[in-house]
Amino acid sequence: MTLLAARPSARDPKAPFALTPEVLPLDRRAPGYDRMLAGAALALALIGALLVWAATRDVARANGQNPQGFLYRHLLNLVIASALFVAAARTDARLLRLFGPFVYLASLAGLLAVFVVGSTVNGAHAWIRLGGGFELQPSEFMKLGMIVGMAVLFAQRGADREEQLPPPTSDVLLAIGLVTVPLVLVMLQPDLGSAMVLASAAFGVLVAAGVQARWTVGLLLAAVLVAIIAVKVGVLADYQLARFSSFTRPGHDVQGTAYNVTQAHIAIANGGLFGRGLFNGPQTNGGFVPEQQTDFVYSVAGEEFGLVGGAVIIALFAVLCWRGLRIARSADPAGRLVAVGVVCWLAFQAFQNIGMNLGLTPVTGLPLPFVSYGGSSMFAQGLAIGLLQAVHRRSAS
Amino acid sequence: MADPRLVGRRLGLIGVLVASLVVTLLGRLYYVQLLDPNKPVQTAGFVHDGLVVVPAPRGEIVDARGRPLVKNTSAQVLTVNRGALQALPDEGTAVLTRLAQLLGTTAALLAKEITPCSPTVPAPCWTGQPYEPVPVATTVPTSVVLDVSEHREQYPGVALQTVTLPQYPDGSLAAHVLGYTGAVNEADKKQNTSLSDADTIGRTGLQAQYDSVLRGVDGSQTMLLDPRGEVVGQGTSRAAVQGDTLVTSIDADVQKLVEQSLAQQIADSRAKGKPATSGSVVVMDPNTGRILAAASYPTYDPQLFVGGISAKDYATLTAPSANDPLLNRAIAGEYAPGSTFKLITTSSAVTHDELSLTGTYPCPGSMTIDGRVKTNFDSESFGAPISLQDALGYSCDTFFYAPAAAEYYADQARVAAGQKPNEWLQKTAAAYGVGRAPGVDLPAGEQGAGSYADRETRLARWNANKAQYCADAKKGFPTESDPAQRQYLTQLASENCTDGWRYRAGDNADMAIGQGETTMSPLQLALAYSAMFNGGKVWQPTLGWGVVDGSGKVVQTIKPKVASTVPVRQDVYNYIANSLSFSRGWAVSGAFAYLDSPYRNEIGGKTGTAEVFGHQDTSWLTTWGPVSHDAKGNVKAQLVVVGMVEQAGTGATAAGPMLKRVWDGLFGVGRPSVLPGIKPAATLPHLTPQVRVTTAPAPAKRGAATSPGLPMPIVPTHAARTGANR
Repeated sequence: MTLLAARPSARDPKAPFALTPEVLPLDRRAPGYDRMLAGAALALALIGALLVWAATRDVARANGQNPQGFLYRHLLNLVIASALFVAAARTDARLLRLFGPFVYLASLAGLLAVFVVGSTVNGAHAWIRLGGGFELQPSEFMKLGMIVGMAVLFAQRGADREEQLPPPTSDVLLAIGLVTVPLVLVMLQPDLGSAMVLASAAFGVLVAAGVQARWTVGLLLAAVLVAIIAVKVGVLADYQLARFSSFTRPGHDVQGTAYNVTQAHIAIANGGLFGRGLFNGPQTNGGFVPEQQTDFVYSVAGEEFGLVGGAVIIALFAVLCWRGLRIARSADPAGRLVAVGVVCWLAFQAFQNIGMNLGLTPVTGLPLPFVSYGGSSMFAQGLAIGLLQAVHRRSAS
Repeated sequence: MADPRLVGRRLGLIGVLVASLVVTLLGRLYYVQLLDPNKPVQTAGFVHDGLVVVPAPRGEIVDARGRPLVKNTSAQVLTVNRGALQALPDEGTAVLTRLAQLLGTTAALLAKEITPCSPTVPAPCWTGQPYEPVPVATTVPTSVVLDVSEHREQYPGVALQTVTLPQYPDGSLAAHVLGYTGAVNEADKKQNTSLSDADTIGRTGLQAQYDSVLRGVDGSQTMLLDPRGEVVGQGTSRAAVQGDTLVTSIDADVQKLVEQSLAQQIADSRAKGKPATSGSVVVMDPNTGRILAAASYPTYDPQLFVGGISAKDYATLTAPSANDPLLNRAIAGEYAPGSTFKLITTSSAVTHDELSLTGTYPCPGSMTIDGRVKTNFDSESFGAPISLQDALGYSCDTFFYAPAAAEYYADQARVAAGQKPNEWLQKTAAAYGVGRAPGVDLPAGEQGAGSYADRETRLARWNANKAQYCADAKKGFPTESDPAQRQYLTQLASENCTDGWRYRAGDNADMAIGQGETTMSPLQLALAYSAMFNGGKVWQPTLGWGVVDGSGKVVQTIKPKVASTVPVRQDVYNYIANSLSFSRGWAVSGAFAYLDSPYRNEIGGKTGTAEVFGHQDTSWLTTWGPVSHDAKGNVKAQLVVVGMVEQAGTGATAAGPMLKRVWDGLFGVGRPSVLPGIKPAATLPHLTPQVRVTTAPAPAKRGAATSPGLPMPIVPTHAARTGANR
């Protein structure tokens, strides 16, 4: 404030106008914000709006519903998410240690509430109906809550020690405990995709916290072992196994579980270099790809915007991750871990989602961050990006 | 806290990991969109076709003069379009609630009924295609029709369809011959893949026998569906082609006459204290082999089965107290024919020189055969030998025992000599059609074959059952409470065990008078008596006469064939027919009732009083007339009429008055004849071309024909939905 007040007086009173503006417009409006990070997220959300619109307008019209219904609701979600973003960005990152445990416990409470009052969508008991057509998916917020909880744990206990040593076994075990509780709850819903995101984000936080390599390698091996046992013993629900088997044998059972994958693949493969053009994708308009506005929204981009459009989305995620890691480098320990956790979350979820659209990874029912239609994920991601901004502002000041 | 350099390395590692993910995705995207040599293509049409079957109206069944026995009527069917309901804000709850109130059911049940069946959706559920409007009520009352059509805005997705349903205009008239219809089930579809769930199939009678003729060709309405199976428009439609008309030889007036007389006789006999549980009448033309009328009591209304019979109605029809109203006793029933069988006995005995037309033979009150005393009915006897004519007229049983027993012993001698027995009586019975289905144009399960005993079948049955007989004889029926009954059954089992294979002289004597194991259907008796007037031909009779298509053209003429010819001389037939002419008055049993009839000299007949173990006698009368003589003096008759009333007493007391009313009606006593000249229709009736009945849904012109696989724009649904409901 003092700077702003001082600068006009420093200007040459004889000059008709200043040759260089003292303050760039964005700097003035958002001091200390990482504009590229926010811009990439906003760009993804706006591209998402177009894709959701394209995916839903013909089918909605055929059902006698408002063709712009999904577009409007997506934009409304974006507005709410932006508000959450601003609120999160304006908080002081030093307060993380204070509210971190509450964020973790609150999201855990939400996850537990699902088992009491939740409803089932597409085989997963993961939703809380709020009334008025609004639903909340607590597992989306759990991702952020878990990252914040772990970050605070490591930072708090690390600050109590003077030596520059890797976190001791007790810290690592505590952190694993913090991860295990929500992981088990999410698996019980059962929401395999969210569980995998939680695990990969937690893994990123552990790596960034500098835990010894034997822990990280050991945990990786343990994860593989658990996965093998889960399949053998039959812990996974039938629909989950079916998705995996349709991944390993995509030509099999075209009308069944592999149907989504096959239809999305057809849509993307026929996009070509520049795509069919917005609203001109026959696969999309014909409503061939189920869940196209959520899990398979990327197939709209592939069909209507082609290789270029698909690559732009991937590139925007790359920018997002780059800025996130950049923030992590210059942040304090707690902020660093939050940044790395968020980057790992978004990177893994985006990879998993785009990968399943491209037939690279199994279908697990995860939305594409910022792009897919869906309030809960948009809100949680808005909060996450806002939190990164807060961390960034803290380290920049 | 950890070493900053280590943390820096770790962050770098994560950066590399993320970068590798990005590169992987970009590479895969590039491959899928540009490099992949085997790009997948959409094989399903963007809009594909769904088929709604438009069931064809069934063909009519008319009588010999073209009067409808089964016709078509239009009915209003209430349908619900589930897709349209689900598009409503409340998913159709309000509409279903209103509709349920109107139909007297519950909204929950309606909701279940319109939900397509699937492994997770058990019955009640909709078995058709998800895009088809679901019929929720057939034959809707007018009040409901008015309510729905006047408040269309309150019933979105609900539509009224006009469908054609079979109608039996005269209720139960000729019910057993016409038969009933039913809905197509899985077994039918397996047998005939062209059937659809919407079709009606003939289940019994002519409806079943001529089902392929009557069913017609289903039409279809193509619905354009998006990949989710939602209707987005209508494609081509093909009108249903109504089934052809079946002309029968049934004369509706004659049929009415015999049914009324039969029902009255049942009532009269019951009034006289007889059980009179059932009865039947058959009227046929002995010269053509066509059946003019076939009545069976008790009867039923086949209209109950149209559109599906209610569980309550079905339970009523099949209850033991109802006494099998669905059974066609005239054709499927098998009864001891009693003395009416003496036609066959006489034919055999005279043809094989066991009796002479000119000789006289004793008719004692009783006769001992094979150690058992057999008596005449009421033990009547004649002191002096009588002629065959009188034996037939008075129906003397003992007269016919003698040749039957003699034939038996002659055959036993042949068997003892290692020869095959002649069994003339059995062979003659077989020639007359006893023991084989008459081959009438009805389903195989609906025609009785009748039966008789001979040495071979007796032995075969014994071989199959002797283990049981002997076991029963040894055990002695310990569960039977009545000691007398127990002793009788044990004695019987014991005799069967040791001697059950033996065909005895008494068995042959029983057969000679239509008792023992001899059974025939009323139709079989009519066929046997018809042979007297057509030179010994036993017809394979018919009910169907011709098939007429929609333009009135005769596409098929159905002609009775000769199933067998009885090797009996014409003079024997003339002798029998003359012996039994009612003109002989008192000398012919059964003629008494006709003494005052103006036509008494023109008809003849043979009574039968069949004894049935544990029941009252079956009353029989076979008649023929009007009688004429051709140039060679051979006896001719225009009709043969056979009547039977179960548990009603002698032939003269029940079947006699019953057929007298029939002949009164035919000859026109006291009123105009129902069959002027007693001449059956000689030519097929001329049927005017049908007004083609078209059924909903009406063909939609808007949506042009599509070829599957061709991407085409989606037609907005609202118009299409209403179109489908029109």
